[in-house]
Amino acid sequence: MFGLTRSLDIDAQALEKRYLALSRECHPDLLRTQEVGDCAAVLQRSAEVNDAFSILRDPWRRARALLETASPGVLDRNKKLDPTFLADALELAEEVAFAKQEHVQPLQRRLAACVDADWAALRTAIEHGDLDAAARRFHASHYHKKALSDLELKA
Amino acid sequence: MAYSDKVLDHYQNPRNVGSLDKNDPNVGTGVVGAPECGDVMKLQIRVDDSGKIVEAKFKTYGCGSAIASSSLATEWLKGTSVDAAAQIKNTQIVEELSLPPVKIHCSVLAEDAIKAAIEDWRTKKSALSGKSALSGIAAEAKS
Repeated sequence: MFGLTRSLDIDAQALEKRYLALSRECHPDLLRTQEVGDCAAVLQRSAEVNDAFSILRDPWRRARALLETASPGVLDRNKKLDPTFLADALELAEEVAFAKQEHVQPLQRRLAACVDADWAALRTAIEHGDLDAAARRFHASHYHKKALSDLELKA
Repeated sequence: MAYSDKVLDHYQNPRNVGSLDKNDPNVGTGVVGAPECGDVMKLQIRVDDSGKIVEAKFKTYGCGSAIASSSLATEWLKGTSVDAAAQIKNTQIVEELSLPPVKIHCSVLAEDAIKAAIEDWRTKKSALSGKSALSGIAAEAKS
């Protein structure tokens, strides 16, 4: 739809430019004089463009869409994560839950680094064509992001 | 959606929270997670020589239903045999806690955790008996 190469990293400027161009083409307000039947199609099209844009501009949602397009069901097939990782995730969650005020910032930095590492690993896995590993890392990132958002509630 | 009284009770007074030594040969540890909601459940059992579960502990990071499911599981596990424990089904947990359909996955997680803990204990057991069998062969070879 956006005519961009399908990849994990995209040119944000090009994406926005395409989005604006597409929006103009199908903006309901600009096409008011058209037939009523066309109107529904235009609305539908404009909703699709908006959905696609909101997915593509968010790196993690983009990654999810990329994985699912390349291998449908890959996320579902890789839901079982390594128990050692899960045990660590549990410890992190505990740390977040009991973090004293002075530990919030360092912990925030640590978790943000975990999310960055997840992203880097996801990228490497996709580059190597290992979509299963990429899907597992995608799931793993969830735990770090959840811990981070829990921590933000305390900050 | 309202939580049932039983879920609230387990949530407010969780039974058997804590950890056992995961390196103890008589302890089985199961850690499972549901990535969509970011829940993690750790369930541990201590088994005596007769195959009876003498202690069960859990730690869960997740919603009230996940906590209640694992808390209830530890209550059921204590005092039962490993073989009987392996038969526990998530549907029993659903029934006992009156979990609504959207929370059924929490009970599935608890069943998975029980199975993983039993599996871990069995693996440890067979590794140990494997070792003693090996040492037996060595002893025979020496004599």
